[in-house]
Amino acid sequence: METAIAAGVHINASCGGAGVCGTCKVLIKKGEVESTRTSRITDKEYESGIRQACQCRIASDLIVDILPESRMEKAVLSRENKEISSQAPMPLADGWKFSPPAKKYFVELPGPMLEDNTDDLTRMLMGLRQQHSLDDLSVDYEVMSNLSQILRDGDWQVTVTTLPDNTSGVKIINVEPGDTRARHYSLAFDIGTTAVRGQLLDLNRGKVLAQIIEYNKQISYGEDVISRIVQSQKAGGLKKLQRAVTDTINGMIAGMVEQAKVGIEDISHMVVAANSVMVQLLLGLDPKYLRLSPYVLTVNNVPLVKASSLGIKLRDYVNLYALPLVASYVGGDIVAGILGTGIYQRKTVTLYIDIGTNGEMVIGNSDWMVTAACSAGPTFEGGGIKHGMIATSGAIEGFDINHQDFEPVINIINGEKPKGICGSGLINIVAALLKSGVITQNGKFNTNLSTKRLRKGDDVYEYVLAWAAETQIEKDIVITEVDIDNLIRSKAAMYAGCQTLVKSVGTSCSDMEQVIIAGTFGCNINIENAITIGLLPDLPRDRFVFIGNGSLLGARLTSFSDDLLRDGQKIAGMMTNIELSENADFMDNYMASLFLPHTNTEIFPSVRIEKGRIN
Amino acid sequence: MDLEATKISYSGNIREITLGKDDKAVTIGGETSYPFHIFEGKMPNLPSIAMEVYDSPPDDWPEAALEPFVGVTDDPVSWAKKCINDYGAEMICLQLLSTDPNGLDRGADEAAETVKKVADAIDIPLIVWGTANHDKDTEVLKKVCEVCQGKSLIVGPLEEGDYKKIAASAIGYKHTVIASTPIDINLAKQLNILLDNLGVPEEKIIMDPTVSSIGYGIEYCYSVMERIRIAALTQQDDKLQMPIICNIARESWKTKEVKIPTEEEPTLGDIKKRGILMEAISAITLLLAGGDIMVMRHPEAIKLVREMIAELTA
Repeated sequence: METAIAAGVHINASCGGAGVCGTCKVLIKKGEVESTRTSRITDKEYESGIRQACQCRIASDLIVDILPESRMEKAVLSRENKEISSQAPMPLADGWKFSPPAKKYFVELPGPMLEDNTDDLTRMLMGLRQQHSLDDLSVDYEVMSNLSQILRDGDWQVTVTTLPDNTSGVKIINVEPGDTRARHYSLAFDIGTTAVRGQLLDLNRGKVLAQIIEYNKQISYGEDVISRIVQSQKAGGLKKLQRAVTDTINGMIAGMVEQAKVGIEDISHMVVAANSVMVQLLLGLDPKYLRLSPYVLTVNNVPLVKASSLGIKLRDYVNLYALPLVASYVGGDIVAGILGTGIYQRKTVTLYIDIGTNGEMVIGNSDWMVTAACSAGPTFEGGGIKHGMIATSGAIEGFDINHQDFEPVINIINGEKPKGICGSGLINIVAALLKSGVITQNGKFNTNLSTKRLRKGDDVYEYVLAWAAETQIEKDIVITEVDIDNLIRSKAAMYAGCQTLVKSVGTSCSDMEQVIIAGTFGCNINIENAITIGLLPDLPRDRFVFIGNGSLLGARLTSFSDDLLRDGQKIAGMMTNIELSENADFMDNYMASLFLPHTNTEIFPSVRIEKGRIN
Repeated sequence: MDLEATKISYSGNIREITLGKDDKAVTIGGETSYPFHIFEGKMPNLPSIAMEVYDSPPDDWPEAALEPFVGVTDDPVSWAKKCINDYGAEMICLQLLSTDPNGLDRGADEAAETVKKVADAIDIPLIVWGTANHDKDTEVLKKVCEVCQGKSLIVGPLEEGDYKKIAASAIGYKHTVIASTPIDINLAKQLNILLDNLGVPEEKIIMDPTVSSIGYGIEYCYSVMERIRIAALTQQDDKLQMPIICNIARESWKTKEVKIPTEEEPTLGDIKKRGILMEAISAITLLLAGGDIMVMRHPEAIKLVREMIAELTA
């Protein structure tokens, strides 16, 4: 065990090497060890050469395999399925067919003659009716502007792009010369308060061709939705905020087009899932009344809008579709999550939690749904944390600590040198610090410990996760007491939100048959650690599923299926919103949650804090 | 037809703890119902009153408060003895005012010596109250715990910012601690959990929820204490079942109302009576909210409170 730690190889050891937990099992493949056998090793394991690393003394050169359960799982940047199928193991919407709302049709038309001098548009519509059985198409005015030339350039062979319009009809949005069906792309965006995630999709093969995550440039105008609304009320504020987010999007589109080697003219659709404030700001709609009682939106079902008219650098024919909104703080992102995970299709009572700057939760099944939102703060996306960052390369995600000498074992996304800490890393770090007694249940460092990792920084205590020489930033990467306080506040808001919502429908957390966790605070969430810090309710672990970015998932599926596009509207209509800001229970629950895991320790029976470790 | 009074059914009880030692030990707590609801449960130990003694002569007390202690205020030992012999004190609360870094700033050794002298001179339980300055209290109370080994003191206040080292000494030398939190049920519970994690036995913890005088937000204190008792007695919250101490004398005697001379504000009535009533009514209010120990000053106020306790438990 000591050799492994010295070599920087992580082996789990919950008990800190006392031999009692059995989490440090290794397979001795070659060589000799002297070891004490405990009851944690079964006969079968012992015969096959499995030992507890902490009970082994090396007697010769060894080849050792660390058993999978003893490893710290290495993070991968994206666990999202790049190919979409309805058989994915995750809880996904079911029963839909791959049929993107944006469709391309190739038509070969007879050229006009003196005897057949029908106008160009009618000729094209007739072709579509005869060859593709498309009736009652409406036509965007802009399509006509160059139609005559395009038809002739293509020698009467053209590709027509259609899209469902705002009613139940279908409209023509673009006509191109020749057969361009092979090049048919769309964009899906999740616009978060802190970060924006985008994907470039191939609408022929249902594939993700490129994806990018970027900070929302609106951050310089405030970290949460409320400060954005305040900013929008200043002179020219609304325009500035709109430009900030469209700039972000434009940069990402350029990046993805470059990555995937796709022509920007071949992108014909864009789907956006975002919280209500983000949607209104993107559309340039004054969000003033969102934060004034009774908290009403300008629009729930946003009509189609030309992306270019908002300042997004796409061709004029690209329509932007925003997933419908529910309430001031419950937006299209949550609708997208429910859609993508198919909660609305099943009888299973599910708790859906979207962990982010704006924390949102939904409880329900195919019959009913209630939802609530709370401001958790940017902590989970690395905001308000001294060395916080979004979950990209170089972020510390995996973390464990040696219970004897308090030395850390860290794992970094993409295995680079560390740059900072992402949200899931923060959860793992705080959980490990708590379990090892480096911090107490109120999130304060136990300053009596003798380790040089623990020191007083700028007026507050901090723990050094990585020394300057080991990092990319050439500074010590630390976690401070203030960071921990911020995390405690964020997790308290999330937990109190769930508690309040669960109670408002007369159930308890234990009635939840499934808990789906969404959010992009990391590649994965360690459920055990999230429960240890009191972010998630203490339920049997097999009820939890982590789906990553539920919002982007829903946006992508909407881009792939017009069935789901319609379902999204149905879901938004089903949801009943509970306003937490007006709820006294929420405040009480929040105050009681400001502790690790919770002031009411009895609701976290599986979280055990060792006594008497502190001195 | 008989009228059946509605009764609350309780599922928990307040922890019974014994303070001090030998035959002068005092047991507090043990309630199985809300305060004075003796028609619903038991109150096996009557609330107790600890009389204040200061380690340096007070310079901002109104005349009425000083009067009963003329001649002893410069000697904590004689002061404590007077409280016992003349006023029948059940416990003594020694306030270490002189250690305040913003005042006389006396050192830990000197303070500990004073405590030792008082502890040697009396046989009833001795409460030692610091200044709530974290660094200074850590230094002073650690020393007090050490020097007074075997005296079974009650030391406080232990706050979130300084509980660790003081509690460690208290455990080592077998004293009881006062867990002090700023008028918040969650924080009160959290500190008890932290003390428990540290290894402080539950029967060695008394809670100080922070109190204030009537007219200065006592409703808020009342409400928090009431919630603590509801959680302890009806929700089996064992981390809130500790007895409660209220350091109320200094709160009521520092108010503007006890200091304005009768001539200046005749409508407020006699200044002496006023001070006594401020203290007595504040203490009675806190007893009704669930206090187990009242730290009090004026013998007349104490008398009123004792009468009230006797009537309510008759």
